[in-house]
Amino acid sequence: MFPLKDAELGAFTFFASALPNDVCGSNGLPLTPNSIKILGRFQILKTITHPRLCQYVDISRGKHERLVVVAEHCGRSLEDLLRDRKPVSSFKVSCIAFEVLQGLKYMNKHGIVHRALAPRNILLDQEGHIKLAKFGLYHMTAYGADVDFPIGYPSYLAPEVIAQGIIKRSEHTQSEKPSGPKSDVWSLGIILFELCIGRKLFQSLDVAEKLELILNLGCVDDILTVLAEEHGCLDIIKEVSENVLTLLRKCLTFYPSKRPTPDKLLNDPIFSEISSLYPTFHKPASLFSPTLRCANLTLPEDISQLFEEENSDYLAERSIEEVYYLWCLAGGDLEKELVNKEIIRSKPPICTLPIFVLEDGESFGQGRDRSFLLDDTTVTLSLCQLRNRLKDVAGEAFYPLLEDDQSNVPHSNSSNELSAAANLPLIIRERDTEYQLNRIVLFDRLLKAYPYKKNQIWKEARVDIPPLMRGLTWAALLGVEGDIQAKYDAIDKDTPIPTDRQIEVDIPRCHQYDELLSSPEGHAKFRRVLKAWVVSHPDLVYWQGLDSLCAPFLYLNFNNEALAYACMCAFIPKYLYNFFLKDNSHVIQEYLTVFSQMIAFHDPELSNHLNEIGFIPDLYAIPWFLTMFTHVFPLHKIFHLWDTLLLGNSSFPFCIGVAILQQLRDRLLSNGFNECILLFSDLPEIDIERCVRESINLFCWTPKSATYRQFAQHPKQTSEATCTRSLMSCFSSDYQDAPRSDLSRDSIKLNDLKSEVSPRISAEDLIDLCDLSGPSHFKTPTKKTKSSKPKLLIVDIRNSEDFNRGHISGSINIPFGSAFTAEGELIQCPATSMLQSFKGRVVVIVGHVAKNAASFAAHLVKIKYPRVCILDGGINKIKPTGLLTVPSPQI
Amino acid sequence: MQEMVKTKNNQGKNSGMEREFVYTFSSGNQHFVLKVPLKFPVQENVSHLLGRLMLLHNLPCFIENDLKESLSRLIEEKSIEDYDTEAEVALEAVKSGEVDLNQLANTWAKTYTEAVLEHTRPEDSSWDEDFADVYHDLIHSPASETLLNLEHNYFVSISELISERDVELKKLRERQGAEMDKVMQELGKTLSDHDVNMLAAQHFESQQVLENKWNNELKQTTGIQKQEYQEWVIKLHEDLKNPNITIGEEINVQPNQWRESIEGNGGLFEDQRQLEESFTIHLGAQLKTMHNLRLLRADMLDFCKHKRNHRSGVKLHRLQTALSLYSTSLCGLVLLVDNRISSYSGIKRDFATVSQECTDFHFPGIQEQLEVVQQVVLYARVQHSSKSKRLNDVGNKNGSCEDKSKNMEQNLSNILPGEFYITRHSNLSEIHVTFHLCVDDNVRSGNITARDPAIMGLRNILKVCCTHDITTISIPLLLVHDMSEEMTISWCLKRAELVFKCVKGFMMEMASWDGGISRTVQFLVPQSISEEMFFQLSNMLPQIFRVSSTLTLTSKH
Repeated sequence: MFPLKDAELGAFTFFASALPNDVCGSNGLPLTPNSIKILGRFQILKTITHPRLCQYVDISRGKHERLVVVAEHCGRSLEDLLRDRKPVSSFKVSCIAFEVLQGLKYMNKHGIVHRALAPRNILLDQEGHIKLAKFGLYHMTAYGADVDFPIGYPSYLAPEVIAQGIIKRSEHTQSEKPSGPKSDVWSLGIILFELCIGRKLFQSLDVAEKLELILNLGCVDDILTVLAEEHGCLDIIKEVSENVLTLLRKCLTFYPSKRPTPDKLLNDPIFSEISSLYPTFHKPASLFSPTLRCANLTLPEDISQLFEEENSDYLAERSIEEVYYLWCLAGGDLEKELVNKEIIRSKPPICTLPIFVLEDGESFGQGRDRSFLLDDTTVTLSLCQLRNRLKDVAGEAFYPLLEDDQSNVPHSNSSNELSAAANLPLIIRERDTEYQLNRIVLFDRLLKAYPYKKNQIWKEARVDIPPLMRGLTWAALLGVEGDIQAKYDAIDKDTPIPTDRQIEVDIPRCHQYDELLSSPEGHAKFRRVLKAWVVSHPDLVYWQGLDSLCAPFLYLNFNNEALAYACMCAFIPKYLYNFFLKDNSHVIQEYLTVFSQMIAFHDPELSNHLNEIGFIPDLYAIPWFLTMFTHVFPLHKIFHLWDTLLLGNSSFPFCIGVAILQQLRDRLLSNGFNECILLFSDLPEIDIERCVRESINLFCWTPKSATYRQFAQHPKQTSEATCTRSLMSCFSSDYQDAPRSDLSRDSIKLNDLKSEVSPRISAEDLIDLCDLSGPSHFKTPTKKTKSSKPKLLIVDIRNSEDFNRGHISGSINIPFGSAFTAEGELIQCPATSMLQSFKGRVVVIVGHVAKNAASFAAHLVKIKYPRVCILDGGINKIKPTGLLTVPSPQI
Repeated sequence: MQEMVKTKNNQGKNSGMEREFVYTFSSGNQHFVLKVPLKFPVQENVSHLLGRLMLLHNLPCFIENDLKESLSRLIEEKSIEDYDTEAEVALEAVKSGEVDLNQLANTWAKTYTEAVLEHTRPEDSSWDEDFADVYHDLIHSPASETLLNLEHNYFVSISELISERDVELKKLRERQGAEMDKVMQELGKTLSDHDVNMLAAQHFESQQVLENKWNNELKQTTGIQKQEYQEWVIKLHEDLKNPNITIGEEINVQPNQWRESIEGNGGLFEDQRQLEESFTIHLGAQLKTMHNLRLLRADMLDFCKHKRNHRSGVKLHRLQTALSLYSTSLCGLVLLVDNRISSYSGIKRDFATVSQECTDFHFPGIQEQLEVVQQVVLYARVQHSSKSKRLNDVGNKNGSCEDKSKNMEQNLSNILPGEFYITRHSNLSEIHVTFHLCVDDNVRSGNITARDPAIMGLRNILKVCCTHDITTISIPLLLVHDMSEEMTISWCLKRAELVFKCVKGFMMEMASWDGGISRTVQFLVPQSISEEMFFQLSNMLPQIFRVSSTLTLTSKH
């Protein structure tokens, strides 16, 4: 999107037509409200960017099918020129014509027809260039079918438009005939004619007379002369230049087949002089476009010129979308603005109640409400409040330096305030205008430098992700690169496949509370993205839940299916590797077993209770993990959850799962099996910020290798990965990605895994966590800072002779045979009391025999010892490292 | 080499036509021809189409750009052609007179005048709405106190009138009773049955005369009060607009007048019998909306009566109701009525009595409103029958519909179960809107389903609540106002479960209509229900609705 520059933001409102009472669609579900259909169709308009068109920014739904559209706006329009009642010079007229045609051509290329072309919708910007307003109305209302009012203004309707009549809701038939691009050319002709004579046509006639007159022009030889005669301005017309007259004749051709299209007209010789004045327009390349993003960048000969035109209005240099977003944050309220300008005039509801309602819901006695009529005046949204809010923001905030190491940069006042703001809760930060401005500007710059600035994006994302930039930021975090559009286009998304039926059933049930995703447009996009994924992953299949997984990506990249698809393709192997296999039971089983080990590791009491009542993860957690929680949470919570999830590795979801359980802990502990099933069938509200916070905490306490899964994704060729990985923290890198050594975990059979209550950790991890300094003939994969390391206690369960022969330094010895009483209590001795006093630390059980270690751990869990784990491979793994120490003989 | 490929036939649009896209290219010495049938108008994205073609036919990448260009050129050209043909067909139809030019223009003109403000004749501002604005302004200003005092003064004078009436009626009845007693003693001696009947008729007549007299007086008084009040409100508003004038005639209530109302009649006792329990619930699978539910053992009309026994409560209640009268958070009540639109018997009569206790300064009185309802019902019947006739003509509907319409014709002015009419009030204590839902004796039986007209009526009521910002609604949970013997415990539980579940379903549906605005739904059970029963019902509610978890406050370490 272009920077705001001198333009303003404008808003106008209209009503979608109400649906008839209680009619169901062909699939038996209630019909989609028209306002939602319009909202869905509107989205694509946001991507249509051209200097001759008013940029569409946003649409919002109000009560009772009201829609408010926000778009770029200028205060002056051709209406103002006409108000002067002076003929406009021929040159100016041709310029206006050329510019309008440029706009029309661009629209037509995107399949959009204006239909409501009129002087009031041709705006004039500060430099006198035109911008077409309301060009998307005809498109978003499905050619006027979803609204009660006709689109277009009587004087400017093309004859064929009038002849084709109005599509009436009540007699809605499939054979609607939308107007073509040429009808706009007629409207343009009338407008140009009015400019030439300096006043409006057909002023003295009423609507029906106007329309009849236009249709009767078909019987006339020379429309131009007739119109001029009719309005007594033959003299003025005579003075109009030949070029313009030719243009007018071409536009005002009665039969559309003989009328040129905007495209043809632009290339007409009449514009040969003018066209050289206008440089061709290149749409700026987007982040993932295959072309060079700087291809059209032209630097002035003398770089210093860039500084000369410096002005202090930095906000105007931001894109319209950003300015509008900030305007909303700074307290902008669309409906209020429209109410203040008396565009929205609603009656008190008690005055509009119906008197009598039939059983089928049809109501009677309700007066026609005038406030539902169309008033398409555009109201300018004042930016004063926003500018006022941002007046203290320093210029540097708009152009931050992107050095990797920012500690050298002297902190200005505002940045201190910012760091203070960074400690506020996320919800507050997301509503803070200044803070968001800073974040948006920063992310915008970083993303422009993607993938070069990838590391810094990671770093900043760890602070938070500004909602406005979330779509692209996630793509960057997922490492999406390359010509995604071409890849996506090359996938066949149309040919029917067996999965279609299931997809068709699932989509109307997926996050349908959201307006965007419940719109028909949203459904079509869902369908394409899901099909694209299914088709391009022949080894995987569609499992229910994939739709939920797609939802956040589609929502964030609604106008960029290719990016949504690319993100999904990057996400699934990272977090859900092989979950979508046709037979995924072994993957899921292993996953759930590790999950229950994690519950036992972090919350033994809860784990004991759940195991006791038989409430195993298989009963509730499959939809959690298969959809990465998108099936259980609403979108706004998913966003906050995934903001963190995407930064974590593939074992982070376990921690989220445990954190959710912990929020419901009290209720779970006090309830039996049936109540728990009921509780989870309709999951209660979860405080997502707390959930995120706690899962990070849990993650820090979890040794990396504890969540090892043999069916997880194995490291790819690490040639290109390593260079970036080394800079990321251990938080985000996967255990599986680390180079394997003898000390890594060995895979064990699923049944064995299931039989163990506590997770195993690798020798590598143990050494790393203990900071055992020894002959380090291997490199620890990643450095952890001291503070983030969990405290550790090693319990050696071999008999004391073996222990004395050599053990890990700092470990305590509780021989397995003599550790527990028959009741399962710990037998008191110095070592066990030491264990007790260190309760809460990570306890690593080290032994000879795996079975003994496992059962020792199980005993500890039983008596509610948290964070118990087993050293994989036992003491034998450590022996070759030479890290065992022999205590000096006691004297 | 020739290949043919069927593109997906788009949802069988009849208007579309098929064209063939032909593309030739050569590679080395070989020449290839690609023929693709395309359905117009082309719905799909050109790049998607291109991608499919490339994939399906295994086309070489070097032709990609060229293919795309010629494909989009073809689509563009042919689409324009189609537009032109269609347009000219329409123009030709007008020219040849097949379509009447006049009619066409008038249809357009009509649409413009009906839907676009610019083309609509300016509406003469309606007095009702102006008054609404004025009142809304005033009640939200310091003048509200004065306003309420005035309303109260009027209320007091009406209640005086009513109590006078009641006294006089009571006296009359006592006198008549005494007379009757005397006559009865003489019955068979000096007087015959005929004489007794005569006397009874006479008594009835004189009662009627007296009642009419009083009713006329009441009507007159309320009429005067209303006019005075409205004039006064307008004047006060104008005075307030002029900053120089302070409110001249401050209306004060004699302190004893407020206190006087303390001596209610047995109100205290009634209050103790009222039981209530409140719940906060969450609805929705992923996105949850919060609502308040309340289970109450109370009389429906308790929400309408001005409680005389509350000392300061009277004023507060009044203020609360007055403040929200023209706002977007209204309170509604569902009243179950029979199929006649009147106020002669049962709850209808009680309701009418209550609503006449105080003058309605904003809306017409209950009788006038009912008269309007009767007219609207007649109009609706005519509309509906003509519509269903049309439907019958078009598609032969089965007999049930005809039966229904036949029944309707029997008495057009009666309403059917599931239908409801709405009255508006400004003079009830906690209610602005009353839904009079028609039910038949069926609701007393134990086996009604979710498809029952009464339940459908509830759904429509909730829908009106959505469209007209009624945020608090009181519903009789058991769909009856009084208990009778056949309503056993199991009957009650079954009925309550049905209504709870249906209302839950409707509330979830409502969330999609209005975006999940938080509402309060009050379920009322008759006073005659036992306490035990009440607690059984209040235990049932959280099992059906998901009650939100209790807030746990933990201190940060």
